[in-house]
Amino acid sequence: MSEAISKEAFQALIDRAGLTLTPPQFDELRIAYGYLQAMRERVRKPRGYDAEPAHIFKPAER
Amino acid sequence: MDPTLLTIADAAKLISKKKLSPVELVSACIAKTEKLEPTLNAYVTFTPDLALKAAKVAESEVMAGKVRSPMHGIPVGLKDIYDTAGTRTTGHSRLLKDRIPTEDAFTVAKLRESGAVITGKLGTFEFAIGGPSFDILSPPARNPWDPTRMTGGSSSGSGAAVAAGMVLGATGSDTGGSIRSPSSLCGLAGIKPTYGLLSRRGILPLSQTLDHAGPMCWTVEDAAIMLQGMAGYDALDPAAANVVVKDYTGQIGASVKGKTIGIIRHFYEEDHVAAPSVVAAMETAIDVFKSLGCIVKEITLPPLMDFAATGLIIMSSEAFSIHEKDLQATPELYGEIGRDRIMMGGLLTGGDYVQAMRQRRELCVAVADAMLGVDCLFTASSPFPAPEIDKVPKWLMYQKPSITMPFNVTGQPAMTVCAGYEEGSGLPLAFQLVGNAFDEPTLFQLGAAYEAVTSWRSVRPSLA
Amino acid sequence: MSKTNIHDLTIAEAAPLIAAKKLSPVELTATYLKRIEAFDGALNAFIKVLPEAAMASARKAEAAIMKGEYKGPLHGVPIALKDIYNTKGIATTGHSALYKDHVPAEDAVTTALLAEAGTILLGKLSTWEFAIGGTSFDLPWPPAKNPWNPAHDPAGSSSGSGAAIGASLAMGTMGTDTGGSIRGPAAWCGIAGLKPTYGYVSRRGILPLSFSLDHGGPMCWTSEDCALMMDVLAKYDPIDPGSADVTKADFAASVKKDVKGLKIGVVRHFFEKDAEIDPEIKAGIEASLATFKDLGCEIIDVTIAPLSAYADVAALISRSEAFAFHEETLKASPELYGELARQRIMMGAFIRASDYVNALRERGVLIAQIAKVFETVDILVTPTMPTPAPKLGELGNMLSRARPSFTRPFNVTGSPALSICPGFTASGLPLNMQLIGRPFQDDLVLRLGSAFEKATAFRDTRPAQWAMPSSIAAE
Repeated sequence: MSEAISKEAFQALIDRAGLTLTPPQFDELRIAYGYLQAMRERVRKPRGYDAEPAHIFKPAER
Repeated sequence: MDPTLLTIADAAKLISKKKLSPVELVSACIAKTEKLEPTLNAYVTFTPDLALKAAKVAESEVMAGKVRSPMHGIPVGLKDIYDTAGTRTTGHSRLLKDRIPTEDAFTVAKLRESGAVITGKLGTFEFAIGGPSFDILSPPARNPWDPTRMTGGSSSGSGAAVAAGMVLGATGSDTGGSIRSPSSLCGLAGIKPTYGLLSRRGILPLSQTLDHAGPMCWTVEDAAIMLQGMAGYDALDPAAANVVVKDYTGQIGASVKGKTIGIIRHFYEEDHVAAPSVVAAMETAIDVFKSLGCIVKEITLPPLMDFAATGLIIMSSEAFSIHEKDLQATPELYGEIGRDRIMMGGLLTGGDYVQAMRQRRELCVAVADAMLGVDCLFTASSPFPAPEIDKVPKWLMYQKPSITMPFNVTGQPAMTVCAGYEEGSGLPLAFQLVGNAFDEPTLFQLGAAYEAVTSWRSVRPSLA
Repeated sequence: MSKTNIHDLTIAEAAPLIAAKKLSPVELTATYLKRIEAFDGALNAFIKVLPEAAMASARKAEAAIMKGEYKGPLHGVPIALKDIYNTKGIATTGHSALYKDHVPAEDAVTTALLAEAGTILLGKLSTWEFAIGGTSFDLPWPPAKNPWNPAHDPAGSSSGSGAAIGASLAMGTMGTDTGGSIRGPAAWCGIAGLKPTYGYVSRRGILPLSFSLDHGGPMCWTSEDCALMMDVLAKYDPIDPGSADVTKADFAASVKKDVKGLKIGVVRHFFEKDAEIDPEIKAGIEASLATFKDLGCEIIDVTIAPLSAYADVAALISRSEAFAFHEETLKASPELYGELARQRIMMGAFIRASDYVNALRERGVLIAQIAKVFETVDILVTPTMPTPAPKLGELGNMLSRARPSFTRPFNVTGSPALSICPGFTASGLPLNMQLIGRPFQDDLVLRLGSAFEKATAFRDTRPAQWAMPSSIAAE
């Protein structure tokens, strides 16, 4: 797992999300963010430009 | 005979022969609910008067010779994220405690048309994600096999109510395993059908890309009967697939000899090491399928964690987009677990979501390739039997990959079948059968064949 | 025929001559190569010219036609591709230092379809870097210039595609359009450019910018020529996850039909309330509406969502997706990007997942809304660009929000949208107008465009400075 995110950087993410956290909640979510970080890395496999998602917009299928 | 412990299939036969009255059946379920509900907390909103009224209508229709379907007169509970016209639908959340929809969810309307009798609204993890929680609208459901244990979630009340015979069937919803987890831990047959088969309109969403509706029943055949009652194309659900509704019970009873089953052992032996009792139960179940003449071969899929990361990023992103305003304005109206889990989605970027969606396609292709030459896949459903209700780590699904999530990511049909009971504790164990898209009939055929040659369906929890 | 120069012919005019063996593909190709050599130094429309390969395929086409193996209206027609269309064995650079040695092993599906139809590939055309970064001066190749006045901008990102058609350096080109990248250059270069319905033309083998909004499409001198290209391009591609399995229209036949009785809805609030436009552009639209009326069309005003609603949705979707595609290389070698592409793509890093998800949800609402409007009208009319072409370099690093886009809404809805030239400003720069249709009614949009072009004289004027006689031998 990657290094724990700094308190400052994590506060910035919380601010951007528009959330207000209690201090214990802040500490807990900051640790949990580490799990999320690992997943963010896991979905970044090397892939070609033409790797597209499976389900995308088709106007005929409104 | 205790009518509450009948299967839907048997009850339907008796009802159509006028040997069992829907009023009698529903009354028995109401009486059982009144007895067990203080222990099990299966319901958020129990509506016995409405149920009796509907049972009387069903009875007069049946007496007049008009039997709508095998669901006619069958008492069914709804997970409290299914909208019901005139009855509150809360998502088990204080946030929506007074929300009374004006329309039924599409699948609820379908069930009513099929003649099912709605008994009320069943407990769930808050908004199908936060639980088991003691700080939400009402206490969490408990497991009829051992009330100190959790039911699994999020369709927790559905799991408890069906296992205990408070209803003969219940609706669940499944975004990462929310039908299959409680079906495993409560010893039921529960199916997450193919993505797009059942309408989700009128069901509170958690994650549009991964949400599925589905039935939870005592037997595989019952799940097939109830799925028949819920299925139908809904042009107003943007994800609905316009496909012909198949005959879900038609293949039940046909020989399964020669069916090829791909076993995904690494999911429960390596990627998420399951309890020894679970691993042993899987081997026994595989032997049963072999004795039925099935061909068994080992299949390797991408690591479970790839599916979990993909699914959780999609789910968290979409859940946050749904709850963002309320989480900002009134976080105190959420329970702690639901609040914290959904908030995590606010920390993700558009790029994370796009990457997860791209990975999703790669995983779909990988599973489709692995399914060439097999009729269905087999793996564990839950890595453990029911844990104690207050000992479930909040971030478990982030730390240990879910064995059910892969098939929310791929959208394939996946069904949980009870594989017996753990020695000592007596708690249910379960496996999953996973099919090709829209091939639910094969899953029902295999699952019912398994149940027919095992005795697990004759054992009910002591609290039933 | 009144035209005396080969390079003034449209595809529709040249095709019957080629079919009748009166016009030689070799001569035609040689003419265009000569013009490219003479004029492209002033226009930078091409990144790479392929004279030998082009002459070889011209000879092959000629031999086939002489043997009676005529393939159809594009046989022997010289074309060029925006340099994000993969070409087997030929570098496909995206106009970027990052990709300058990128030599694809396969043709894009559309590249192959055009080759099978017998077209002659003249070369690869300039673009904004990766179809987003421009107009830029810090890339390995200079930016394309406007064929009507090289001091002016041709618009982007299919800048070379627009410039090449405007200056008669190719008979047809391919562009791509994620927010207006076909229609913008079509507008400022005074040509016809179609962004087809999403899913009508395969995108496989085209470098992506934003898969939800990317479209490939033709750019030609006339709408009729675009229709002839579409007859070849519109084909279901089961491997492109966005491709739609629909029955293709007969474009060549449809485009010739009458437009009498068509109901045209003018999205007046786009240019009278939501954004300001140049008075000459506005006058061009008003005059065009009178022409449509003369053609027997019925004109009414309609209301759709405000421009800004589409702009926000499009920006959130396209920046998120572009960042996902470029994230790794942007982190590893940002210096290989030009400043504009780097900055614009990096904006995607600041978008939250829920913003992206909400943008996709909002997109569904906007699509449903426009479908409702199309229950009452057949075609919508708006300007393509709010102004005529500004001076080169003036576009600069404007934030997209500061520049109203009349084109982006139809990337969001996936509707077919055509830019045509309804005249010229006092200073001789092209005016512009956009026609939008129902999904998969691209042929109807082109029909109206073609009827307009035939009823007016604007297609008779080509920019004056690229004169070089090339007489039509057969006349």
